Amino acid sequence: MSSPIATIGDLERWQDRVRQAGPAAVQVAICMGTGCMAKGAASVLEAFRREIAALSDGPRIEIKQTGCHGFCSQGAIVVVSPPEVFYRDVRVEDVPEIVRETALQGQVIERLLYVDPVTNKAHCSPHSIPFYARQRRLVLERNGITDPNSIEDYVAAGGYSSLAKVLSEMTPEEVIAEVEKSGLRGRGGGGFPTGRKWRSCREAPGEPKYLICNGDEGDPGAFMDRSVMEGNPHAVIEGMIIGAYAIGAQQAFIYVRNEYPLAVQRLENALAQAREHGLLGSNILNSGFSLDIQIDRGGGAFVCGESTALMASLEGKPGEPRAKYVHTVEVGLHGKPTLLNNVETWANVPIIIARGADWFASIGTEKSKGTKVFSLVGKVQNTGLVEVPMGMTLREIVVEIGGGVPDGKRLKAVQTGGPSGGCIPTEHMDAEVDFDQLWELGSIMGSGGLIVMDEDTCMVNVARYFTEFLLKESCGKCVPCREGLAQVLEVLTRICAGKGREGDIELLLELCDCLDDAALCGLGNTASNPVRSTIRYFRDEYDAHIRDRRCPARECRGLFDYQIIAEQCRGCGVCAKECPAEAISGERKKPHVIDQDKCIRCGLCFAACPFDSIAKV
Amino acid sequence: MGETVTLTIDGRETQAKVGETLLQVARRMGAAIPTLCYHPAVSPYGACRLCLVEVKVRGRTRLVTSCCYPIREGLEAFTQSDRVLKARRGVMRLLLARAPESPELRKLAESMGITDPQLPSVTKGKRDCILCGLCVSVCNEVMGAAAISFSYRGVERVVTAPFEQSSPACLACGACAAVCPVGSVVLEYDGETVTVEPFGNRRPALRCRECGALIGGKGMGERVAQQLSGRLTQAVDLCAECKRKISAQAICQAGTAVVAWPALPEGVTER
Repeated sequence: MSSPIATIGDLERWQDRVRQAGPAAVQVAICMGTGCMAKGAASVLEAFRREIAALSDGPRIEIKQTGCHGFCSQGAIVVVSPPEVFYRDVRVEDVPEIVRETALQGQVIERLLYVDPVTNKAHCSPHSIPFYARQRRLVLERNGITDPNSIEDYVAAGGYSSLAKVLSEMTPEEVIAEVEKSGLRGRGGGGFPTGRKWRSCREAPGEPKYLICNGDEGDPGAFMDRSVMEGNPHAVIEGMIIGAYAIGAQQAFIYVRNEYPLAVQRLENALAQAREHGLLGSNILNSGFSLDIQIDRGGGAFVCGESTALMASLEGKPGEPRAKYVHTVEVGLHGKPTLLNNVETWANVPIIIARGADWFASIGTEKSKGTKVFSLVGKVQNTGLVEVPMGMTLREIVVEIGGGVPDGKRLKAVQTGGPSGGCIPTEHMDAEVDFDQLWELGSIMGSGGLIVMDEDTCMVNVARYFTEFLLKESCGKCVPCREGLAQVLEVLTRICAGKGREGDIELLLELCDCLDDAALCGLGNTASNPVRSTIRYFRDEYDAHIRDRRCPARECRGLFDYQIIAEQCRGCGVCAKECPAEAISGERKKPHVIDQDKCIRCGLCFAACPFDSIAKV
Repeated sequence: MGETVTLTIDGRETQAKVGETLLQVARRMGAAIPTLCYHPAVSPYGACRLCLVEVKVRGRTRLVTSCCYPIREGLEAFTQSDRVLKARRGVMRLLLARAPESPELRKLAESMGITDPQLPSVTKGKRDCILCGLCVSVCNEVMGAAAISFSYRGVERVVTAPFEQSSPACLACGACAAVCPVGSVVLEYDGETVTVEPFGNRRPALRCRECGALIGGKGMGERVAQQLSGRLTQAVDLCAECKRKISAQAICQAGTAVVAWPALPEGVTER
């Protein structure tokens, strides 16, 4: 182990040393993100180790474990360089062939390549895959390249140079000015100007000051922050040290949910490495500045992503929010000035310092600078993590990067911002995605969830689903959130069950007003977005449920009919056997018929038909 | 400390001390602001949301809970604006849906212009509990017992003793029952035992040494005695009536107005 890095010179010499060691002749990079791990990446890694150890001669082949590539639907992902070929869905049995053909002879194995479902074209290099080609990766830049468990890897790529620059050349004032100039806004959802927050905290009276990294990512289907913590933990840590120097904090916390064991493990490892090399602890790089960072694991309550609830949880109290009439930058953790930013915000900081505020501000829109990481999920061909410049249109993200809706279905809406975000319909697909545009459309940036919905998605049911989630995650402290969401859910549930009444939409809007105006924290204040936005853009669907007892998307059970497509039916009789209402009749090997008067619309026939001959009408 | 600021409430200018809340100042000026989770004996909690008022900060107005809103120089507040009254009524309707039978809630709702419950009951508390948290705060902050707290989350939220079992930390002092705005908490006596319901805290009961009336739990007597000294400790196991009687007798015997029990410390008023 090398000795602690005591000065800037030490850091530069260390960077030279690890760079000189240079890459091996051949490198096999295996994604060890949670998605790929779930698809057997650990066994694939073992297989590569065995296979390479068994080689007697030939070029030196280095195995590298990397963070998440973002293209999670394609795991396990292996990239062999040269020739930088991107293999998808790699299994243990593919490993000997990859070593023999690609690592040793540079031959490409066609069947493991990614084939674009739109063009049917196979892609060798990750850079040519449309999913990656349209992205602009800053925060995720090193994610599929560096080994998250290796500080040397991070340092070789220029890591901790921003910290060195800050500690040797910049005053805290200058650091804050630089972040302000960059236009960076909080990536946790609120979009508050980061530099202004730092300045308020620096200027707030009271000692000590605390710094927190919010890693309590809780939106269903979102994993942006998890991937950054797992894939590039040192970037988050470097950002935090720079922030602590800027505001004058000596103690910092990373609050991360316990459901992210890999993130916890990699952060712990990274913190230990940083301490060992003198990049954390007392008198960092001989600057006189000292800081330690500790990890606190949360129990996974959604509301603990709210800053005051998070701080209560850090103090060992139940995770419940309090009124923020005095901001947490003045009175936060243990009543002291506290600076809280989320994972992605912190990971942006070293980039801004390294490349300059002007460069950063040149990316994005007038009021939203830089890039944003989204987790693109739902009814879309390419699901995964995407990082795009602010201002890219929804259409570009969903169609060009995401490959559009599968199975020839029609795109209906995109839901942004997590459970308390809104649904944006197709007519606004050319809206530029930034904080203010999304707000105008009745949605929010949130922490970056992006759920694509197709024509089969019932928008009333979507509102019901998210309301149910929020009600379950409400802490229950304030009346509007606890009682109001329960009332909203009651109304939405009855509408979806075909029992809606005239006036229900107006009642929903009234309840939404109460939530917006009277709820205590951000959870309750934004909880009306799913309901409001679906009423705003899809009111006809509500009306169809309430007045006609029909679900136009044919999703709400009982609000549409099943019909046998006579031309397709082979008369196998499976549907008739399954039907609990004896509503299906027909001769063997002849088309069957459903008696709509007897049918209870349970859907068992639809699920049972082996020939897809039953339609929802 | 002691610094004063000037603020405007409902168009009237007033002065107040830094550290006071908007609710305190507004009520002093006679503004009608309903509250359920507020009590001067405990720190403000901001959960019932009935005390909402509109404030103007840097030209923009927003609704805040006055019970925990710190006053500042130049603050402009409106306690009866349309937006305020609408929001308060919205909250009240939700509360009434939870506990439609509660006489206290019905009375308050009526004073706010709501006659019958307009929303269905979709949540239910124990004995009409509205989860205002006053019992939890008084037990923790004032009595120092912390025998009850909130458990569970969201609509499942409930006030319980730890592990929902009778808590030995409970003094059966009855402070929780005294502050409860809807009468959910009661002390039930059964022989020499008192049970604080709905928490199920069963404790030995305390009797007045003069008349034998049941006056809470023995734990309360012990706790009070520990914190008092001199002749005050003699009043620990007396009911309010007997205390008055003894005091009156002392005055009569002395033939002049003597103070049987020392005056209350400054700043504390009897309720």
